[in-house]
Amino acid sequence: MEFSDITAFLPILLKGALITVQITIGALLLSTLLGLLLALMKLSPVRALSLTAGTFINVVRGLPIIVQLFYIYFVLPELGIQLSAFQASIIGLGVAYSAYQAENFRAGIEAIEAGQIEAARSIGMKSKLIMRRVVLPQAIRIALPPYGNTAVMILKDSSLASTITVAEMTRAGQLIAASTFQNTTVYTLVALLYLCLSLPLIFGVNRLERYFGKSAKGGNS
Amino acid sequence: MININAIHKSFGDVEVLKGVSLTVAKGEVVCLIGPSGSGKSTVLRCINGLESYDQGSITINDRQVDVASKDINDLRTQVGMVFQRFNLFPHRTVVENVMEGPIFVKNEPRETAHANAIALLEKVGLGDKVEAYPQQLSGGQQQRVAIARALAMQPEAILFDEPTSALDPELVGDVLTVMRDLANEGMTMVVVTHEMGFAKEVADRVCFLYGGQIVESGDAHTLLTQPSHERTQDFLRRVLNH
Repeated sequence: MEFSDITAFLPILLKGALITVQITIGALLLSTLLGLLLALMKLSPVRALSLTAGTFINVVRGLPIIVQLFYIYFVLPELGIQLSAFQASIIGLGVAYSAYQAENFRAGIEAIEAGQIEAARSIGMKSKLIMRRVVLPQAIRIALPPYGNTAVMILKDSSLASTITVAEMTRAGQLIAASTFQNTTVYTLVALLYLCLSLPLIFGVNRLERYFGKSAKGGNS
Repeated sequence: MININAIHKSFGDVEVLKGVSLTVAKGEVVCLIGPSGSGKSTVLRCINGLESYDQGSITINDRQVDVASKDINDLRTQVGMVFQRFNLFPHRTVVENVMEGPIFVKNEPRETAHANAIALLEKVGLGDKVEAYPQQLSGGQQQRVAIARALAMQPEAILFDEPTSALDPELVGDVLTVMRDLANEGMTMVVVTHEMGFAKEVADRVCFLYGGQIVESGDAHTLLTQPSHERTQDFLRRVLNH
């Protein structure tokens, strides 16, 4: 492993890392919005809504993410929907993870005691207000640790975008390795860079878990 | 003020209320007593529409209580409720718990709601706990916050569902004192309770429920000291000798 190799490869890999971060953030945002919508639909008393959400969640969870990416990038253009590889990777990962996010949020919402909703009703609050003021603020605290774990998974799975030609970090590494044959140097660097991104996130999640775990047991919050 | 007329209610195949009728006048304190499963909490929950009923009718100031109607939220602002397990909002401070309804349901200005909440918290003896979170308080303190939260809506009546049953014995007194003060101020109250001493002292009327029916009802002192029905006698013997 030559030091000159490292200085030569690092800028290219960092450029890839930037795209990795962009995909992760984009997919995280999309999966959050879509996941929240799916969770609310699934808990809705309107059967058509809960059935639609349930079916969507199961189908998406039952498909490999890489197949979903291929579908969006290679099949949708045949139906007249053109997306760049970058857009396709954000949409693909965002939709795939919305199913897991929906389950995170649903578990958070369902963990709220019935007594909370009854108390809110007893002071005349309507369903939407109860959701906004009583249920969601508490559900988000419960859902935060699993939400953080999902963010870590999205970060790692953003490497799948390499399979549809996005030059994110893994793809950048592949390209350098193919032209220089410096497999050890390149993939060690790639692995270290992923750890630089994921470990802070994992430590953050652990802190959140300790913090909320304590307050759930009756400590100060 | 509250008029319950022959309500029936079933959970699945089990009929928990078999024709309960009860009238509560303005300013009256009525205690519902009876063994667990007798339907007393269900009656209470039907009054403010937390439970629906299958037959009969309930009116509050001549307005029908109907869970499915849009009117129900407005009716609930007139009838407060205090729960066995307090059900305070754990993510909000004590004063925020009390202000929640006035601000978000009655659209009161924040300053007015805050001033009223502070006054109510002082009234229930918690003027020094306004910025605490519920989980930092004892059960008795939490229950008094819950009473302040109900009072903040300026209800015409308050329903109490076993308000002291989840409390350690030494904390029961403070809550009962607050309730006694409310009764003396003329608040209309329906109280499901196992505190026979409180019922005897404060209630205008006591109803004994058994098997989904009001078996006996009458003046508190008479019912609790000289019950005429065999079931009432049996029940009182058990609770007073425990």
